[in-house]
Amino acid sequence: MGLFDKLVGWLGLKKEVNVLCLGLDNSGKTTIINKLKPSNAQVQDIVPTIGFSIEKFKTSSLSFTVFDMSGQGRYRNLWEHYYKEGQAIIFVIDSADKLRMVVAKEELDTLLNHPDIKHRRIPILFFANKMDVRDALSSVKVSQLLCLENIKDKPWHICATDAIKGEGLQEGVDWLQDQIKTMRT
Amino acid sequence: MSSVESSGDGGKWLDAHYDPVAGLYTFSSCVDLADLSGDRESRLVVGDLGTGSSGMKLKVYRGTALISENTLLDLPAGLVAFFMDLHEPRIPAVAVASGPCIYVYKNLRPYFKFTLPSLDVNPLEQDVWQQVREGQIDPVMLKEMLESIRKKADIPLSIRSLRFLSLEADEADEFVQLHKQQPIRRQTVITCIGTLKKSTADEDGISCLVIGTESTDVFILDPEAFTILCKMSLPAVPTMMDVTGQFDVEFRITVACRNGSIYILRRESEKPKYCIKLSSHPVGLVRVGKNVVVGCTDESLQGFTQKGKKLWKIILPAPITTMAPMDLPTRGLQAVLVALANCQVQLYREKNLLSTIKTPDTVTSICFGRYGREDGTLIMTTKGGGLMVKILKRTAVFDDRDSTPGPPVAQSVRLNVPKKTKLYVDQTLRERENGLAMHRAFHMDLSRMRLAAVRAYVKALESSLTPISSSLSEPLKMNAVVQGLGPSFKLTLNVQNTASCRPVMNLAISFLYDDNLYRIRNPYMRIPLLVPGLIYPVETFVECTSDKGISDIIKVFVLHEEKSSPLLTAHINMPVSEGLMLN
Repeated sequence: MGLFDKLVGWLGLKKEVNVLCLGLDNSGKTTIINKLKPSNAQVQDIVPTIGFSIEKFKTSSLSFTVFDMSGQGRYRNLWEHYYKEGQAIIFVIDSADKLRMVVAKEELDTLLNHPDIKHRRIPILFFANKMDVRDALSSVKVSQLLCLENIKDKPWHICATDAIKGEGLQEGVDWLQDQIKTMRT
Repeated sequence: MSSVESSGDGGKWLDAHYDPVAGLYTFSSCVDLADLSGDRESRLVVGDLGTGSSGMKLKVYRGTALISENTLLDLPAGLVAFFMDLHEPRIPAVAVASGPCIYVYKNLRPYFKFTLPSLDVNPLEQDVWQQVREGQIDPVMLKEMLESIRKKADIPLSIRSLRFLSLEADEADEFVQLHKQQPIRRQTVITCIGTLKKSTADEDGISCLVIGTESTDVFILDPEAFTILCKMSLPAVPTMMDVTGQFDVEFRITVACRNGSIYILRRESEKPKYCIKLSSHPVGLVRVGKNVVVGCTDESLQGFTQKGKKLWKIILPAPITTMAPMDLPTRGLQAVLVALANCQVQLYREKNLLSTIKTPDTVTSICFGRYGREDGTLIMTTKGGGLMVKILKRTAVFDDRDSTPGPPVAQSVRLNVPKKTKLYVDQTLRERENGLAMHRAFHMDLSRMRLAAVRAYVKALESSLTPISSSLSEPLKMNAVVQGLGPSFKLTLNVQNTASCRPVMNLAISFLYDDNLYRIRNPYMRIPLLVPGLIYPVETFVECTSDKGISDIIKVFVLHEEKSSPLLTAHINMPVSEGLMLN
């Protein structure tokens, strides 16, 4: 870290990072982002996102600007317009929805093959969400079903989470922060 | 990805789930999708026929898992989910038709049982059984009397009497003793069931049940009181139906019947309004927009308007097992899914094949709609009891290319015909006013032209310019070409036999000329056999002996040996010999 960065850190001005939050509808994207915000800024009722919403939260060294995209089928074609701006991707999966795992895989494959993403070494953080549901799949099973082992040219990480209680979220965000820092230096 | 590609549907469907041993034995009429718990996630409700004699169950699936099972008393004939009240949360009830009853389930618990009214019993039959009860007649007598009633009466016998007639003599006594005390009843059974919105077209509006029965009637039931709101009769037993519209406004019930006809019933008419007579029996009936698509046993798919006019017919590669509509309003897609006996499911928009899905087993039931949270889900069950779920890809596009042979698309493209100009209008007016004069002028010109043509023909005949033989046995054509400047000319005569197949033999050519002026090398030539169609050039040399710069006519005759008159004559106007003048 350079002297300037240290100075910025002292002044409380943190580096801005744009993150895309993607995933199918009802996977818990907005709930996860809501949990990552400071407790006084959290909202109680989460409603299905229309289009997208922009949320901000800070970690120890970075200031995140999250594009919380709507996961509904009719809004999924909006995603690709934000790929250029994104410096990292959070992909949320509903581990309890076995039927639509193929749909999640299809959307992930489309994302990874998009020209704005394909040749960039962009970190992808997977949240295998809804671990609290009784018959939810484990994070290992989710990564198998999505064929994550085939992603060779991008750093990725999968976390089992329960967004309602906030379990597992911090681990994932810490990983993402480290990745972004190593990319810069 | 590769597994999707290999299924041969062009990668339009995602294989979400396949359980080959799900143990679901059912047909399209007993499958429905409904949000049974009000959490905006649709469940799959199936009336399972079991082995056909036992194990009939009402099964509910959520995602890939079976979440509920209720035992059914009898084989289900049809199953529908419908809203029967306005209570919140909006949870639909499930109606299962089996035998003469409809069992209504709410929250997957039995809620109400509706039984169809019993039919009139033949009074003669009633009298006979009354006499049996009083001990006046014995079973042998009873059998005879019932037999005669069965042959004559217009009201058919009750099930009990029919059963009695089919029994052996030794069983008959016992049967009579067992049943004679009970009054006889005649009951019909339900053959098909559908739903009809009561007064609003809303997705969650209250619906009436519409049932078709073996007694060739169609009943519309009130959803709350389960009273019969309307009764309509058909000429035959209904087997499949499609209902559209609202009961209080206007509705239309399309019914396929066991006599191979389709009848269309409308509000306020007890009898069918329209009738479609099919060439073979219907196996599937689907309404797409305002048209009806029918699959028949002769491996054909036919389209009709709602008034019964035939639009198209296509032949399919295999017999149809079942059909279902595929309606996806968010993408503006309306098509028909047709399952075939050769393990394929084909998707048709109008008569055009959009895509083919290959399945590992023959599909017996299809249902397309919202399952879970996914709008475009295709659910199929197979002959072997398997359950298959496919999800339509978000990016899937069905291109509507016309695969059937017929007039090319360009034929139906409208030409850009320009508007009528003032000149055109003036001309039409003029034609209308002076039609008679124009017609006369035309006839005058036509007659003149004919006269001119005849004159030219006569002239040609007289001078034999392009002579053609008039003889039928030797149709010949000849033209002559003179080459050279003089005094020596080359004369080429092209002779052609214009007959279609007969060759001409024994012909000769001779010339008639002024021997002071010309000398011809071979004044008499034999022509070889003339094969039809070919042109034979006959050449000779003509020398002009005069140096006075004059020319004459040489006459050419084509002669048949043994005949004195020539077949053909030609006059050749010889050019002036320039060679001598140059000298």
